[in-house]
Amino acid sequence: MDSSLHEVWQAAAGSPFVPTVGKDNQFLVGFVLLLLGLGLGGAFTLNRSIVNLPVLAVPASAALAFGVVYMFCAVGVYV
Amino acid sequence: MKTSAVFSALLSLLSLASAASADSKSSSTSTTLPATFKPPQVFKNANLVHVISVEKNYVKENINVLVQNIDKAAQDEYFVPFTADQLSRLGGVEVKDRKDSNAGPFVAEAVEFDQESDIQYLRIRLPKPLAPGAQQTLGISYYLLKAYKPLPASIKQEEPQFLSFSFSAYCPSAYTTTKQKTEVKFPSSTIPDYTKIPGSGEITEFPQVQGSKLTYGPFDEKPAGATQPVSVRFEFNKPVTHVSHLERDIEVSHWGGNVAFEERYTLYHRGANLSSLFNRVKWQQSQYYQPNTFALKELKFPLRVGSADPYYTDVIGNVSTSRFRSNKREALLEIKPRYPVFGGWKFPFTIGWNSDAKNFLRQTAAGGFVLNVPFLEGPRQPEGVEYEQVQVRVILPEGAENVQYHTSVPSQSINQVSVELHRTFLDTIGRTALVIKGRNLVDDFRDRELVITYDYPLAAALRKPLIIFGSAVAVFVSAWLVGNLELKFDTRKK
Repeated sequence: MDSSLHEVWQAAAGSPFVPTVGKDNQFLVGFVLLLLGLGLGGAFTLNRSIVNLPVLAVPASAALAFGVVYMFCAVGVYV
Repeated sequence: MKTSAVFSALLSLLSLASAASADSKSSSTSTTLPATFKPPQVFKNANLVHVISVEKNYVKENINVLVQNIDKAAQDEYFVPFTADQLSRLGGVEVKDRKDSNAGPFVAEAVEFDQESDIQYLRIRLPKPLAPGAQQTLGISYYLLKAYKPLPASIKQEEPQFLSFSFSAYCPSAYTTTKQKTEVKFPSSTIPDYTKIPGSGEITEFPQVQGSKLTYGPFDEKPAGATQPVSVRFEFNKPVTHVSHLERDIEVSHWGGNVAFEERYTLYHRGANLSSLFNRVKWQQSQYYQPNTFALKELKFPLRVGSADPYYTDVIGNVSTSRFRSNKREALLEIKPRYPVFGGWKFPFTIGWNSDAKNFLRQTAAGGFVLNVPFLEGPRQPEGVEYEQVQVRVILPEGAENVQYHTSVPSQSINQVSVELHRTFLDTIGRTALVIKGRNLVDDFRDRELVITYDYPLAAALRKPLIIFGSAVAVFVSAWLVGNLELKFDTRKK
């Protein structure tokens, strides 16, 4: 136990933690990213080729990744 | 034949003796002081005022004592005796210098010297050794849980409740006390029974009664360990709320910018039982003409401003009898149990709520994070609430490291602290969880802070999306690979 931690808290008064995407926008961001991810993923499944892997599949995966995280938060499961 | 019997008896005696010595060995390894320990008579209590407050459903005791070093050497260890039973129910010990508030809380810890002994000691370490002949005023305050017995033990549901409490009129001390008195403060002036003892000096009989206060003393010099058992019985027409187990989870989310709280209570009413079956009609009538009752019918939780999305459930599911008042000035959660809780009854329930991370979490200049949350946030009741076992679990984000903590709750009430892993949604390695186990706390400590600092590198923050990204890429690549497989029969003619 270290009583100096209280001073650390006081010293950090000017920098409260603010998330990248606020609670109000989490659903919108999550929904748009998921939609984009599913759309790109769908396009890839229709035309599977080695070229489309980096062009469609990788951006689809990235959009799905962040979309899933933000949709989890938006529905109240704060991961 | 005879000799063999004598021999076997001797053998059994020998084995008993060896077993006893093994026992004493094992117990002596866990003790810090020899079993024959007695506090050295190096102090004298020049003046002592013992204030016992039974106003709430736990006992708060204050011992203000002027100690004098009567030894030839400077001394820094002062012992306070308790019975083994009291020590198991003792919590929230705080010791201060009454004359010098800057001296800070002194270290007070239970001394283990002989588990079998009925008298156990609490050792107070004075920050500066007291010089021979010098005096110091100590303010020792502590709480005793499960202190009362209802008398009568069972009553009708509309009758008032009476509690009894036993203590010693002489303050238990390991040292000679020159002058002392004991004051007992009650919630009301209805004190039907109290032990009377012969007075001293001008006063013929103790205690002296002044409204809702009894005073035993002043007494003249008493030797170390002197006791005078007395008991009081007083009206306490309020619930004797006892939380045997509280699990408090605080979950920090950096992605969501949220701090989620959940508290699981196992609540008992330790007051008088009902002498007949619960009568719902009578209860409903009494709500109008005699609302004052010893049953627990409402709990009020003043949460921090900015709290949102509260929930209140029990084993059956959602409990709809609650109200949440939230505005710029307050966030008050008022809950009613599913049924009025009478003596001997139990009501386990769960409450939870969310709050924005900015209210509790800050970024430090060094790049780490600092979290400041209340250690306890239980109900605020006029009659008080006592907590026997408290487990506070702070669940930090996955990958948080270098966890340090500080709490202003008395260290005597903290049992165990550990850093564990907690696995839940979207986790791969599990979240870092700081688990603090406390015991014998009361609602007076409800706003004591718990400050935690930790580091949370960017790589750890990106772990969740990276895992999902990797999985999705794997699915797409395998879809492409599977799609390229030629599964048809070769129709070319050779």
